[in-house]
Amino acid sequence: MKHTLAFLFSLFLVCTSVVAQTQKKTDSIPVKTYRYGVRVGVDLSKIARSFYEKDYKGLELVGDYRLAKKYYIAGEIGNENKTVNDEQLNFTTKGTFIKVGFDYNLYDNWLNMENMVYIGARYGVSSFSQTLNSYKIYDRSAYFGYPQSIQSGEEFKGLSAQWIEILLGVKTKVFNNFYVGFSLRVNKLFSNKTPENFDNLFIPGFNRTYDGTFGVGFNYTVSYFIPIYKKKAPIAIVPKKK
Amino acid sequence: MKKLLILFIVALISLSSCEADDICSEATPTTPRLIIDFYDISNPTLTKNVTTLGIIGEGTTTVILFTNVSKIKVPLDISKDISKYQFILNYGNSNPAFINTDILQFDYTRRNVYVSRACGYKTLFNLDATNPFTQTDADTPDGLWMKNITVLQSNISSEDETHLSISF
Repeated sequence: MKHTLAFLFSLFLVCTSVVAQTQKKTDSIPVKTYRYGVRVGVDLSKIARSFYEKDYKGLELVGDYRLAKKYYIAGEIGNENKTVNDEQLNFTTKGTFIKVGFDYNLYDNWLNMENMVYIGARYGVSSFSQTLNSYKIYDRSAYFGYPQSIQSGEEFKGLSAQWIEILLGVKTKVFNNFYVGFSLRVNKLFSNKTPENFDNLFIPGFNRTYDGTFGVGFNYTVSYFIPIYKKKAPIAIVPKKK
Repeated sequence: MKKLLILFIVALISLSSCEADDICSEATPTTPRLIIDFYDISNPTLTKNVTTLGIIGEGTTTVILFTNVSKIKVPLDISKDISKYQFILNYGNSNPAFINTDILQFDYTRRNVYVSRACGYKTLFNLDATNPFTQTDADTPDGLWMKNITVLQSNISSEDETHLSISF
């Protein structure tokens, strides 16, 4: 529910800023130029969760580099530390992740607007450790009494996972070179080094794992664009009227 | 474009609502019980039903009652290395002469094995190699009704196989 609210809020915020942008009018004669450079930012949702969720600490830095008019090399790097308290299990996962891939801008910008509605793909890898704090035995009969929680504290080190993400996102310039954006992601694990007698139930960067190998994630970013060079649009290309 | 966005959001919501693995399903094998088959002592290849059999574990007062079955499932204590039961044949019979109690103590080692997020762990048992069980008579002796007890499988890891056979 918390996540759903965050989604809706993000959606609202980004949509309104997109609308606000499209209503802007320029007085000068339009000269279409494309700016190329590096954009760096941070995932606000992980920072926010670190404050309001006492069992979570996370940070994710994001970046992209505009390679061609519509293509961006993009990636994320971060660290997560999460304690999950389930009915049968209580464990803590700590680790680092890196995701690299590309974004493809689907949005036709007018004039000098620099918004993005994009699809992208990432290859993600995470290295982490898990500590099983406590667990319960599942005993259906419970004849000799209900199973009590057993303290463990066993640490499983050197765990890793690799996955592919497909994402859909929006980035919009709010002022100067500042952008806000969000992305929704569907992840598919393809390599998962699990510990003996336990499982990787949470993977930093991938998020919680379900019965299968699919997962979902999202981020909400604020980023700053560092321009490096500009390209003028070829004269032949006239912005389409819609 | 819009269609793609809607499709993506729908896919995301449907995936994130896959909470089925939050409930430990009945179909998931968890801590197994000891499976006992009853056989006819006069014809050891034939299973024999117990008319009524009540078992009571030491430290509890709850009776587990079996009627007209040849296969029973006995819970083992997951917090101790022994489980001791009274096996009361013809439990609750109006004629006290038919009621016969034997005491069986099972000795085993335990290990806890991971199952899943929803189920947590299960305990698997290994019956002691030299002394898997001890049969004694009731406190008020009435003779032993179990004539022959054989361990078929000392490794109790599932309820799919029979671990012990008792002839009477």
